[in-house]
Amino acid sequence: GVSCFLQTACQCLPGCDFGSSLPERALLLVLVLVFLQGSVLPLGAASSPDVSHQDKTDNHKVEAQGHNYTKKAFPVLSIDYHYIQTPFEISLWVLLASLMKLGFHLIPRLSSIVPESCLLIVVGLLVGGLIKLAGEQVPPVMNTRLFFLCLLPPIILDAGYFLPIRPFMENLGTILMFAVVGTLWNAFFIGGLLYAVCQIQPDNPSSLHQIELLPCLLFGSIISAVDPVAVLAVFEEIHINELLHILVFGESLLNDAVTVVLYHLFEEYSGIGTVSVLDGFLGVISFLVVALGGVLVGAIYGILAAFTSRFTSHTRVIEPLFVFVYSYMAYLSAEMFHLSGIMALIACGAVMRPYVEANISHKSHTTIKYFLKMWSSVSETLIFIFLGVATVDGPHNWNWTFVTVTVILCLVARVIGVVGLTYVINKFRIVKLTTKDQFIVAYGGLRGAIAFSLGFLLDPAHFAMREMFLTAIITVIFFTVFVQGMTIKPLVELLAVKKKQEAKRSINEEIHTQFLDHLLTGIEDICGHYGHHHWKDKLNRFNKKYVKKCLIAGERSKEPQLIAFYHKMEMKQAIELVESGGGVKLPAAMPSTVSMQNIQPKKPPPALPPERALPQLSKGREEEIRKILRSNLQRTRQRLRSYNRHTLVADPYEDGLNDFLIKKQKIIELEKKITEMNNYLTVPSAPPDSPTITRARLASDPQAYSVKPTSDSVPTIQVDLASPQSPDSVNLMDEFRNARQPEQDEDRGLMMKPPSEAKGPKRPEDAEGAKDQQRLMRCLSDPGPSADEDEDEPFLP
Amino acid sequence: MKISPAHIIRLYDRFEFLDKEGSGQLRLEDFAEVKELAMNPIGDRIIGAFFSPGQETVDFPSFVRILAHFRPTDKNRAKDSTQPEPVNSRTSKLKFAFQLYDQDRDGKISRAELLQVLREMLGMQVTEEQLESIADRAIQEADLDRDDAISFEEFRKSLEKVNIEHKMSIRFLR
Repeated sequence: GVSCFLQTACQCLPGCDFGSSLPERALLLVLVLVFLQGSVLPLGAASSPDVSHQDKTDNHKVEAQGHNYTKKAFPVLSIDYHYIQTPFEISLWVLLASLMKLGFHLIPRLSSIVPESCLLIVVGLLVGGLIKLAGEQVPPVMNTRLFFLCLLPPIILDAGYFLPIRPFMENLGTILMFAVVGTLWNAFFIGGLLYAVCQIQPDNPSSLHQIELLPCLLFGSIISAVDPVAVLAVFEEIHINELLHILVFGESLLNDAVTVVLYHLFEEYSGIGTVSVLDGFLGVISFLVVALGGVLVGAIYGILAAFTSRFTSHTRVIEPLFVFVYSYMAYLSAEMFHLSGIMALIACGAVMRPYVEANISHKSHTTIKYFLKMWSSVSETLIFIFLGVATVDGPHNWNWTFVTVTVILCLVARVIGVVGLTYVINKFRIVKLTTKDQFIVAYGGLRGAIAFSLGFLLDPAHFAMREMFLTAIITVIFFTVFVQGMTIKPLVELLAVKKKQEAKRSINEEIHTQFLDHLLTGIEDICGHYGHHHWKDKLNRFNKKYVKKCLIAGERSKEPQLIAFYHKMEMKQAIELVESGGGVKLPAAMPSTVSMQNIQPKKPPPALPPERALPQLSKGREEEIRKILRSNLQRTRQRLRSYNRHTLVADPYEDGLNDFLIKKQKIIELEKKITEMNNYLTVPSAPPDSPTITRARLASDPQAYSVKPTSDSVPTIQVDLASPQSPDSVNLMDEFRNARQPEQDEDRGLMMKPPSEAKGPKRPEDAEGAKDQQRLMRCLSDPGPSADEDEDEPFLP
Repeated sequence: MKISPAHIIRLYDRFEFLDKEGSGQLRLEDFAEVKELAMNPIGDRIIGAFFSPGQETVDFPSFVRILAHFRPTDKNRAKDSTQPEPVNSRTSKLKFAFQLYDQDRDGKISRAELLQVLREMLGMQVTEEQLESIADRAIQEADLDRDDAISFEEFRKSLEKVNIEHKMSIRFLR
């Protein structure tokens, strides 16, 4: 029954389009709801005590043993739900989450008004409600272990791996102030005032009186932390400028250490009832240990991962695995020692990224990116749904006073904290935070599932008021996510807060930024001031001299930042060029058409006519190719193509690589020839295909890359590109460059050009050719529909 | 916002420290004494910026005037067009940086000048061809009026997304 619904739902969804009429949409919604109903029942049924199942199986066994001489009818079809129960449930939840995500975007108006997180919580409420209505017991989904060990790490790793390092480091002081001092302030303010409020009402002795100070402070510390999941979910949709985003987000990540320490501190001593000064002092030390220890653990694992990735050039398939496993182990190791797992994960991702990216193939890079995004997306969805389900589950203890006071205090504490801290911080900042910025930072302090899980973790034996706490926590979470989450977008528009800019870094920005870095370092040295730039420069030097050599494989360790960036841009542009149908510039099929159809000389040229020159060029090129290939045939060994799961043999996509290299060389030369001979020679470019067509063409037909050889008699050699450094592989580009040199000299008699230093020893040429090949090979893959621009940023600015 | 007296005193102390001969003027050799500048790829340019064309020494007012470019910008300054542009405004900072590129002071960064800067920054690690490709591409991107050189306006435009007020400021000189 469930699978039928699944199938029909899946068939229906892709078919629907936005312009469909209302009845169709209603039908879709009904289907989704029915599917929900259908899926919920097995979930509910499975969680109910299945003692009866157990009995039945036992009975069967006994029967079988007792009657093994009596022949039963062979069971053609039987159901054994118990066998697959747990994985099935998990898959069902994940599927539900994903379908919900799909569903929201089919209803266009809704997704622009209400942030996804709200919708997901509502779905969770619905599902929980349905389960309860069906009379089954709600599955305990908000299991704390499940949350902290399975659902949270992917989100944090995704955030940490793609953390924009430069703005983070530039604003680190501010972020730390908000995270540490701000959270402390929040915790004590809320906890203290709550206790005070609980103590008044002498005429109406309620259960509130029994709450001690320490549990209040504990509650304060749980509720005060800004939640990274909620912040990510909401801020992702509003696209504010980088500074505000990194401030709020950085704060939500770094306050984990504070939360961990405060939580453990108050939890330990709640039973005893008092906290001495010594304990407070130990708490401070504990905070330092937790924070720095977490970062250290993360950094160690990050370096291990970077080091491992240095040797993966022969087993490219498992490269992403190292990234994931090392990061997860960093998280688990930190959690083992009660250090801050979040900070460990962030440190691990941030440390390993520049080195790993220099070592792994481009395909692995894409894999890592997409896996992280996928897992974190699913995790986030599940977290919100579970929050809804757990809300329905209860148990609740609603106390008007407590809850309302909590909500109000949270808001008030946040505002006062932000304003006060900004006043202090602005004295030290170069670019000050304006009132608008402060408002957004205060308003963006969302609470989320971490607070709930921490509350859930409380021992009911020690804390009688656990349920009241949970109710209050859930109310605050709902309030912040729904009210603040929904209104922040219109408020951002209203206040005209600066939005995120299209961060497409140009080569100019790169050059000038580096130039300015050097300039500022020099000025600081002249002033004798060991400032920001001085230390950054020192770190860069250390990195270049020692660290890069250890952690990056081969030639890439010596590659300067600017060159890496430049090559990345060139590759991107080259891929775009080919995709947009710039193939008209290819000289391969061209010589005749270029010379005859497209050249319209205004007056007969006095010097070399273009018609003669171009065919001459191609003939000469032909000869060169033949010469090169003939001379190198002995050195090349044809490798047999056998399918092997453990090696990434070059696939047809990458086969076009060598041809591509040749083409590129030809393009460059042809352009040079053309510009120097005739300025009025224009080659009209083909009308660009629509992106979908080119993408489809490229995706489905890898042979789109290959070009017909200039002459059929030229033998083509298939080189196994899996190991570009092998001595057997031919560096065609390298040969080309060598072959080109003498021609350049004789042709460029009229051009003033400094003597090319490229005619150096052959070793750098080799290395360069190999480097370029390796680089091109790594880059030749689908750039992806929404290229993450932040990755273009160099590591250490 | 004027420089506070405390800062001027600090700068004067530094000036005296650099001025080994006690002549009240700094010469090229004094700047060369600063060890870290020797390692700086564009160290020579920076030193050259302190000396006005034709002069061989730098006195204290000029020293401070150059360093004043790097004071944090006062964002709340009223846009008063009658007053001259303060030396630490965004435009002035950019102009200072521009002049470091444009050594021959013709108001444009030519291809050769850009190549020279790239050569200094990247040094021995890259081939001449790569440098030329980068320079070509940079000019191609920034050069809007197709004169194969980058004027100040084009320079400013290519840096419009960079937070110059933050990047070119030293807190020390507030």
